[in-house]
Amino acid sequence: MIELDGLTKVFGDRVAVDDLTVRVRPGRVTGFLGPNGSGKTTTMRCVLGLARPTAGTATVLGVPYRRLWRPLTRVGALVDPRARHPGRTAYAHLLALARSNGLSRARVTEVVDLVGLEAVAHDRVGGFSLGMGQRLGIAAALLGDPEVLLLDEPVNGLDPEGIRWVRELLRALAAEGRTVLVSSHLMSEMEDTADHLVVVGRGRLLADVPMAELLGASAAVRVRSPQAPLLAAALRRAGAAVTLELDGALRVEGMDPARVGDAAFATGVPVHELTRVVASLEAAYLELTGGEVEFRAGLP
Amino acid sequence: MTGLLSSGWIRLRSVRSTWWCTAVYVVVAAGFGWLAAAGTPTSSRADVAVEVALTGFGFAQLALVVLGVLSVSAEFGTGSAVSALVAVPRRTSWLAATTAVVAGWAALLTALVALGCAVAARALIAVPGGVSPTDPVVLRELGLQVAGAVLVTVLGVGLGAVLRATAGGVGLGIALVFVLPPALAVAGSRWAERGSQALPALRVGQESFLAVDTTWPVGLAVTGAWAAGAWALGALLLERRDF
Repeated sequence: MIELDGLTKVFGDRVAVDDLTVRVRPGRVTGFLGPNGSGKTTTMRCVLGLARPTAGTATVLGVPYRRLWRPLTRVGALVDPRARHPGRTAYAHLLALARSNGLSRARVTEVVDLVGLEAVAHDRVGGFSLGMGQRLGIAAALLGDPEVLLLDEPVNGLDPEGIRWVRELLRALAAEGRTVLVSSHLMSEMEDTADHLVVVGRGRLLADVPMAELLGASAAVRVRSPQAPLLAAALRRAGAAVTLELDGALRVEGMDPARVGDAAFATGVPVHELTRVVASLEAAYLELTGGEVEFRAGLP
Repeated sequence: MTGLLSSGWIRLRSVRSTWWCTAVYVVVAAGFGWLAAAGTPTSSRADVAVEVALTGFGFAQLALVVLGVLSVSAEFGTGSAVSALVAVPRRTSWLAATTAVVAGWAALLTALVALGCAVAARALIAVPGGVSPTDPVVLRELGLQVAGAVLVTVLGVGLGAVLRATAGGVGLGIALVFVLPPALAVAGSRWAERGSQALPALRVGQESFLAVDTTWPVGLAVTGAWAAGAWALGALLLERRDF
């Protein structure tokens, strides 16, 4: 369980995190979404005691992180894939972390094998690719077999096989009853991984909803008929919002496919296509964060 | 605390800069010491003979300043400190363990090399009554050398924690122990002389060549105060800062 209560962090005159109140519950993967610069990393740093909140509190397992005894055995974190000395070997990096929390050499070997870095464990990390760095960061997060995991952009730089591995790993960890918070700006990744979403923009909370609900909110029905104007009029009378799509089909919101079909039958118009359209997370997310991006690029 | 010390030792020994600093320290201290002892045929007193053989530490200790600064600044410079502080959020304990390990390493190296220098003095310098390693004045010289090495290293750790940058920490450390004391000494005025004595000169006040001479208790107290002050400021800033 991770609890944020009115968490606020101000850097100079820039509000990075603005009055965030969220509970991240165990047993599911919570996706932490937001555009670049929306305060995800700052929030995680506050939770991990690296940054001091300007106002509000952040607690893990009921206490501020800095009061945890041997925190790696309670909370695992991946904050910055570059957070290591390039001259050290992967093994020495992990062993130093393990020893500081009373963990054994055997456990270091275990996590090295788990993330698939056996072959390069005794190489200096300065020569690692971004993907290998991410695996090393995940190994560090898993060292103490923690019940809470915070991972900031864990799939950044991973190849498709690595992305699938992280997704399955996160789902398995959550299924064991752990609290898993994983941030990303890649919606497509979250769609297959997260059960619950916390969406932020400019440091403010935009949504704290189950994945299905966010997707369902913008679900629609697509219907095609040679007598589209007639059908559209009937559907509008029944209370649906109807728009004409570019290919001549109708997009119906606020009505399920069965009722659309019934309406067509009652009106006596033929139906050539009737499909439920589930919005992509990408679209739902863009709708939410449209006005909240920090850096907006124009077209040339 | 055992875990923290063990972790600190792994961090210290797993970077190459530690071994470079160690090599430079040992080679310079032993080399200069041997040359100085070989170039001094006779001496009237045993402690003076040992002091001559310890001359090399004056320059060699710069390697300890670098080692001390790097033990903290390299962690911050590379971002490695973020993982370290997530693992050990009690930041002052982390700094204390880091300090204990690097200062312990400096003490061990210094004790071994200083003992070697005393043996060289015994073999190469003719002293009435000879140089006995168990003579209290000889032991005091060796003990002071170890204490000075530890304090200079702690000063380096403190500066590393305050500035969190290798270049700045090493630069300031060398200015304090190596550049300013003789610069003020040659400036000549009474205040400059006092200033020189109030700086943490190499070899805790016994370095008449590089600074204004003081008695060893004064030199030890001055260097100790600088080391403690820099370390305390470093710990305070470490606790307060965001990472």
